[in-house]
Amino acid sequence: MSRSTQFALTLRKLALLFLRDLAVARSYRSAFIIEIFQALFGSATFYFLSRFVSSPALDKSLPPGTNYFSFALVGVAFFDYLSVALSTFDASLQEARQNGTLEHLLVTQTSLPVILAGSSLYPFVLMSLSTAIYFGWGAVLFGFPLRQANWLGALLVLGASVLAFSGLGILSASYLLIFKRGNPVNWAILGLSTVVGGMMYPVSVLPVWLQYVARLIPVTYSLEGMRAAILGHASTLELLPSIGALLLFAVILLPISFAIFSWALRRTKITGTLTHF
Amino acid sequence: MQPVTRLTVPALRGISLEVEPGEVLAAVGANGAGKSTLLRILTTLLIPTRGGARVCGFDVAREPAKVRLQIGYHTGGDACFYSRLTARENLLLFGGLNNISDAEASRRIAELTEPFGLGELLDRQVRTLSTGNIHRLGLARAMLHRPSVLLLDEPTRSLDPLAAAEFRRFLLEDIVRVHGTTLIFASHTLAEVEQLAGRIAVMDNGRLLGCDTLAGLKSAAGAATLEESLAVLTSRASREAQ
Repeated sequence: MSRSTQFALTLRKLALLFLRDLAVARSYRSAFIIEIFQALFGSATFYFLSRFVSSPALDKSLPPGTNYFSFALVGVAFFDYLSVALSTFDASLQEARQNGTLEHLLVTQTSLPVILAGSSLYPFVLMSLSTAIYFGWGAVLFGFPLRQANWLGALLVLGASVLAFSGLGILSASYLLIFKRGNPVNWAILGLSTVVGGMMYPVSVLPVWLQYVARLIPVTYSLEGMRAAILGHASTLELLPSIGALLLFAVILLPISFAIFSWALRRTKITGTLTHF
Repeated sequence: MQPVTRLTVPALRGISLEVEPGEVLAAVGANGAGKSTLLRILTTLLIPTRGGARVCGFDVAREPAKVRLQIGYHTGGDACFYSRLTARENLLLFGGLNNISDAEASRRIAELTEPFGLGELLDRQVRTLSTGNIHRLGLARAMLHRPSVLLLDEPTRSLDPLAAAEFRRFLLEDIVRVHGTTLIFASHTLAEVEQLAGRIAVMDNGRLLGCDTLAGLKSAAGAATLEESLAVLTSRASREAQ
């Protein structure tokens, strides 16, 4: 089979897995409506919080041209991509184990990495939809500045972020393959990223040594890039440092995480614990 | 084959057997005998730490994708589909994951609909199907890509007696006789084993105690029934082990 045929087959499998999740989601019709209103409540909360905490000193510490509402909304919305990346591979593995489909998926002509990648597509697309709804409510009701955003730049930052975060997600799934429950990888990355990643406050307010730590995690670059693209109207050229840093994380993390995942998968196939949970 | 780790006990020890194309082989033995482990090695779900296994000439550890192309696998459990999807959606999904185009999968589903009795079930969500019907669907999924070898782990475990009898008839007449598929299955139901299997592999504690026709096993054990043969072979093996 030629490489182009294999590539086409892989794309088709990714689409099939996405459509599977979409069909399952459509069978729970109320979930989407709940999502829309959840985004409204989320936007409203950040808006009123920003009115409460807003002060000239705070505005001064934020990037130029932003207020705390838009700063926090972008931070929370895009931080959730990290949460999704960290949880989606684990969740799809757990779900397949629990509904008994894992063995049957694994005896097909589709490798486990492709199954996990395909199973992560729907959560990422749903996350993007959810972010759009957040921003939509924010723009319509609370003056979130959408019009001057560099959307192409934001998409590039998002793509690089998803690649970088996915490396962490695959590491997390490797842990789950071996240890089944509890996930310190997930916990440590999310915890550290929440504190130093700049989700709710700028990295510049951290002690200097923590600012150095912030430079070692991808979410910092992702949030900086996103805010620059959406709120700071930065050109795509100006976003290159953030995108480059994220791609560097991806280039380092993806091969390492795939190697660890392959080792974990082989080990569970030897110990016979692949489908245990 | 010997899937062992330092953390657990050896699941299989020194097993050696060969199955001819079109043959029906049953693996029998007590719980923990190694029947499911044997099947899972053949499906590439487990990797043996020593020894090896080949399916249609392909090595399970070195050429797992080629092995998977040759096999269909079905277990007796009924929670093995996406319950919110229809039977057809499930079959199309698994067909696609086996590199079958939508058009080819639809053609195969149409071919399998009558013999598998799936007609009215195809467009119903799997969660609304009975256990027996889910079994038929499971077997249809296993046969969708025209495998040469069908591996079944306790295929009638959760079926009522009538459904189990119908399922056995279907396996023997349609799958083995008509399609010439090699069938390897594990079962605790001795009547099923007697009805289906050309040869029976008797396993105990990960070892193969004997592999022969029903008549051959009875003769070797000096027993009148398969049940007695199992008891004799097992107790003989444990005496020898002591």
